[in-house]
Amino acid sequence: MRAGRERTSRAACETMPRDWFRKTDKAISRIPAVFAGCAVADNNLKSLTRLFPIVGPYKWGIYSGFATFFVARFFEVGSYFAVSMGIDRINVMINDDAKPIDYSLTQIALLIVGCVLMRFVFVVHARRAIRRAGIHVSFDLRQKLYATVQRQGSDFFSRIGVGDIMTRAIQDISLIMRLVSHGLIQVVIMIYAPIFGLGAMLFKSPMLTLLILPLLPVLFIYAYNMAGAMARTSLAVQQNLSALSQHTQENLSGIRTIQAQAQEDNEIARFLVTNNAYADAFYDQARISSLMGAWTPFFASCAQLVILVYGGYLVLENQISVGDLVFFFACLNMLLQPIRMAGFFITTVQRAVVATDRLFEIFDAEPEIIDNPKPEVPALIRGEFELRHLNFTYPRSHRAALTDINLHIRAGESVAIVGRVGSGKSTLLKQFTRMVDTQAGQLFLDGHDIRDYPLAQLRSQIAQVLQDPFLFGEPLYHNISYDDPGRALDRIWDSADAAALRETITEFPAQMETVVGERGVTLSGGQKQRTTLARGLIRNAPVLILDDCFSSVDTETEEHILGRLKALRANMTTILVSHRVSTLRHADRIIVLDDGRIVEIGTHEELMRKDGIYAELERVQTQGGASHSSKGVAELDD
Amino acid sequence: MTEPANKRPRRDHAMFDADLSGGVLNLHLFGRLMKWLVPYRVTLAISCVLILIASYLAVIMEILISRVLVDYIIVGDTEGNMPDLHMIALTRWVEAQLGVEPIFAAGILFFLIMVAFAIIGHLHRMTLIGSIVKGLRDLRQDLFAHMETRPMSFYDKVAVGRIMTRVTNDVESLYEMLRGMGSLVGEFVPFFVALTIMLSTSVKLTLILLALVPVVGVATYFFREASREVFRLVRNSVSALNQNLQENLAGMQVVQLSLREERNLDTYTEINKNNRRYEFRSINLNTIYGAFNDSLASVGLGVIIWYGGGQVVQDEMTLGGVILFTRFMGMLFTPVVTLGEQMNILFRAMASGERIFQALDWEEQIHEPENPVELPRRLRGKVEFRHVNFGYSPDVPILKDVSVVVEPGEKLAIVGPTGSGKSTMIRLLGRCYDFNRGMIFLDDIDLNDLRARDIRRRIGVVLQDFHIFSGTILDNIILGNPNISRERAIEASKTVNAHLFVSSLPQGYDTPLVERGNNLSQGQRQLLAFARVLAADPEILILDEATASIDTETELLIQDGLRSLMDGRTSILIAHRLQTIAEANKVLVLHHGVVREYGTHEELLAARGIYYTLHELQFQDVSLDEQGNRVDEDGHIISTTLDDSPPA
Repeated sequence: MRAGRERTSRAACETMPRDWFRKTDKAISRIPAVFAGCAVADNNLKSLTRLFPIVGPYKWGIYSGFATFFVARFFEVGSYFAVSMGIDRINVMINDDAKPIDYSLTQIALLIVGCVLMRFVFVVHARRAIRRAGIHVSFDLRQKLYATVQRQGSDFFSRIGVGDIMTRAIQDISLIMRLVSHGLIQVVIMIYAPIFGLGAMLFKSPMLTLLILPLLPVLFIYAYNMAGAMARTSLAVQQNLSALSQHTQENLSGIRTIQAQAQEDNEIARFLVTNNAYADAFYDQARISSLMGAWTPFFASCAQLVILVYGGYLVLENQISVGDLVFFFACLNMLLQPIRMAGFFITTVQRAVVATDRLFEIFDAEPEIIDNPKPEVPALIRGEFELRHLNFTYPRSHRAALTDINLHIRAGESVAIVGRVGSGKSTLLKQFTRMVDTQAGQLFLDGHDIRDYPLAQLRSQIAQVLQDPFLFGEPLYHNISYDDPGRALDRIWDSADAAALRETITEFPAQMETVVGERGVTLSGGQKQRTTLARGLIRNAPVLILDDCFSSVDTETEEHILGRLKALRANMTTILVSHRVSTLRHADRIIVLDDGRIVEIGTHEELMRKDGIYAELERVQTQGGASHSSKGVAELDD
Repeated sequence: MTEPANKRPRRDHAMFDADLSGGVLNLHLFGRLMKWLVPYRVTLAISCVLILIASYLAVIMEILISRVLVDYIIVGDTEGNMPDLHMIALTRWVEAQLGVEPIFAAGILFFLIMVAFAIIGHLHRMTLIGSIVKGLRDLRQDLFAHMETRPMSFYDKVAVGRIMTRVTNDVESLYEMLRGMGSLVGEFVPFFVALTIMLSTSVKLTLILLALVPVVGVATYFFREASREVFRLVRNSVSALNQNLQENLAGMQVVQLSLREERNLDTYTEINKNNRRYEFRSINLNTIYGAFNDSLASVGLGVIIWYGGGQVVQDEMTLGGVILFTRFMGMLFTPVVTLGEQMNILFRAMASGERIFQALDWEEQIHEPENPVELPRRLRGKVEFRHVNFGYSPDVPILKDVSVVVEPGEKLAIVGPTGSGKSTMIRLLGRCYDFNRGMIFLDDIDLNDLRARDIRRRIGVVLQDFHIFSGTILDNIILGNPNISRERAIEASKTVNAHLFVSSLPQGYDTPLVERGNNLSQGQRQLLAFARVLAADPEILILDEATASIDTETELLIQDGLRSLMDGRTSILIAHRLQTIAEANKVLVLHHGVVREYGTHEELLAARGIYYTLHELQFQDVSLDEQGNRVDEDGHIISTTLDDSPPA
């Protein structure tokens, strides 16, 4: 009992952390305020390199995007240049002393439109190419995730829960997609815009350009600083939003308890706290981004001020033309584009880094069970198991789940297993279908080491009904004939019969076509268990394993099913776990497990005569066991 | 007798789940939304004034460049009636006051205005966002409170996920919409200011440029039409992807044991490919539309040079005027482009708004008496069912003429096969549903004359699916009730045998529990549920005994804890265990909603009826005929498989 409790508390420690935010938080808190964004990028860029093989196949699309963006920029500058030519041309027409221009206004206007059209064509292509690469990447990541996850065993799923995997599949993949499809476009803008902006300005007037240059370092320090703050606050928003959803979800799934305990007012007040925290975080983020929205144009205006005063002076001195001045203003905008981008880009990268780490935690997981490359086993399983000194310890656990199990299950025998919670029943069952990796030389199936059987063979000839009655959101017949969608309906009805399910199904208007689950009919616990039982029975497998799958079925129905089962499973191996003596007694042999060891074994009558744990269990269940006072219980417990 | 619930129109709960498509501009929704923004009207009004000022300042900066710098300082052309918002005069005044060159005077003005612009812009955004965030926070809070108080009949039918979406995502998309509308205002105000200036500069050129605006509008319209279908396909394929993955993960063991991996991967690949195809289509549309809008503004530049040049030569315009036009092009087109972008957000928000208001309008609730009777400070604990008839839908009766009296302090065990109406009986007592045929009395007071909450405060319910909230074990016992001290909680926990396992945890009562309490065993959760109820000290106890198998040791602890819990309390138990039944004062056998037997354990056994059969079946060898039917001594079939369809 104590050991079991220890395990529970350990499990608590293992499943608790939702590490996503914590990791990110840590990553950000490490960064000094200044150059925050830069540091984040540098520290963790290594993990982004793992994305290269995934992005690799689409590199030509990305390169072509880069190249066409370059051309597009060229035409953009061209159009500004043409506008400045037009201004000068107009100036010539009103001021005779201005620099003469050879082209007519119409020609210049056509040049502008031409440049704009060319830019349009190239920009469309460039953006499309890069964003398509992003979609390709997310497609591949999804495929990879799905395929990887399907190969994993129980250890993996105990480390990373279903909800967690879903978040990674939805959120993290889309973050990486954003890195490719938006992040790369942001990079291109950040690289090309200043190059073209500065280049064009230098070409026109190096002096004026040099005057603006000192502003740039200030701008970048500021941009990175802001980006760090942006990243921090938007993370806080996400964190609070996820807390809000979690709070809501948890509250609504416990609504019965809440209302039964008249806790609505308390819960509403509790929600206000979460709700307020989210609103505050949101406001905080808005403040940072608004500050950024105020400062960035301010810096831009500083540069404009320089151009206005000094550029105006140069025009008065006839060193540059009015058109040049206008051109400078246009180029200035380009020069400042990276500042706006930097904030977004750093956030994009930062999130993608964490997302990559999380995804690769899944991709890196090796399948726990690996097939023997050269199996030499008979194609048909008879169903004889021999367990020789079988020991089993779960990964990352210090305590053996099964210890020195010796057991010979004859082909055609029915064996029932009973024991406390945590005594190793389910773990024992998992050995038979290799849901866990049994050590060599400890478990033999029909005389061959179970490790020599290919998983596919093992699982196609050993049917197992799990404790948790899981149904897919599909029609009933799909759920019952899940392993083989092609079965004839007759056979599906037969197995429904055997699981005492026919009456239930005939009550539904859609019969076997009835879709179950959230989008269809909700089945009761007992109905679910009987459906999964039908799923196990339909395979008519040489070995059938039932893991406590009658717990929600009432005793009368259970009796009925067991009666049918006896006839159906004559001469085939059946292994079942149950707590009810009324179920157990049907088996040829009963095994009592305690703390991972076999403590009693024999027929019902033998075990009753032995007057051990089983006999005690029988007494408790049939007579209530009230005479054994709570004092006795307490002693047992400590 | 209260208003009969069943005579009210039947609610179509599928409606709540229906995918409200939106797509129609429903101005009524804005009106309703206003209700939550009105409390913040002052800050909203300030925000509007600020944007007006900021827009003006933005325009003035452009005038300083084009009219003051180019026309006044460089070209020296200040003739004509081109508007300059008195900036030329102001520049001259600064020149004279400070005795500086005109160009420096312009620079000083420019600097002051840009500082003011930055500050006012920031204040505008903060007041605006602050009001919206607060208003929507209030809306969310109201929505949550409304949902929290819907009755069980509502939660029976509506998936929790659907309600979640409303509280989280739908409110988010309203935020996006309001925020978007805010930025639209922030762009339309400069648009109109710029437009006024442009019109007074050159009406013709302005009109020519404005002709380009409808082109953007038409493009936006076509884009929207084309993208609506694509977006829908993308959305659907994404949710299909997630659904498939989620299900595959949840049933992974079944998948692996059924060797369905390859087949499932193939299915997923198909969905994934579909998604990719639709995403590509959406990208094609998006990139073309985005670039088109960018380009159109630039085409305007060509028009300005071409047409404006002629105007300057004819002395209709100044060179600065032409430059002013090129600078204003952006202001002219951004709002239209933004409007196009906002359309999608707007329509999505429409659907969200509809969903939110539908939820807020969902009046379904337990009927409360107009003049509720106050319960005495301490109940004696008598419960009576008198001719109660009930069905979740009128045509499917669940309870038929159920009558029973439970005296104060008495323990009643209800037994019967699944679906016989046991849970329904206790749900009616807990006022989870309205009922109109028959009456239930609590201390001889008609239940319908009492407030549902008052009833629930006096009745402690232990459900099968005991819900664990995130928080510590202590939090889960106290459940936010300020009257329960830590000591009292621990005392309660000791009484019901929960203390043993709690104190063995490293953090004891401060052990955090994960969502749904997965880190506790079934039995431990049951014990905690007992402690929770005992701490609240209700006069009446309702227990739905867990059917799931629990190991025998824990089972004994539970039985013992339950005994302490029931001590001195009127208790109504849906019992599955013999022990529990045997200790009850009375046993009621329910079958297909009808009270078939009632009496003490011994009496019923002696009567050799259904109870006897059920009892015998559980503990002794059963004689079954060839069809698997349970037969009595005379060979008559007593029952085949029992009906165990769920109540809902």
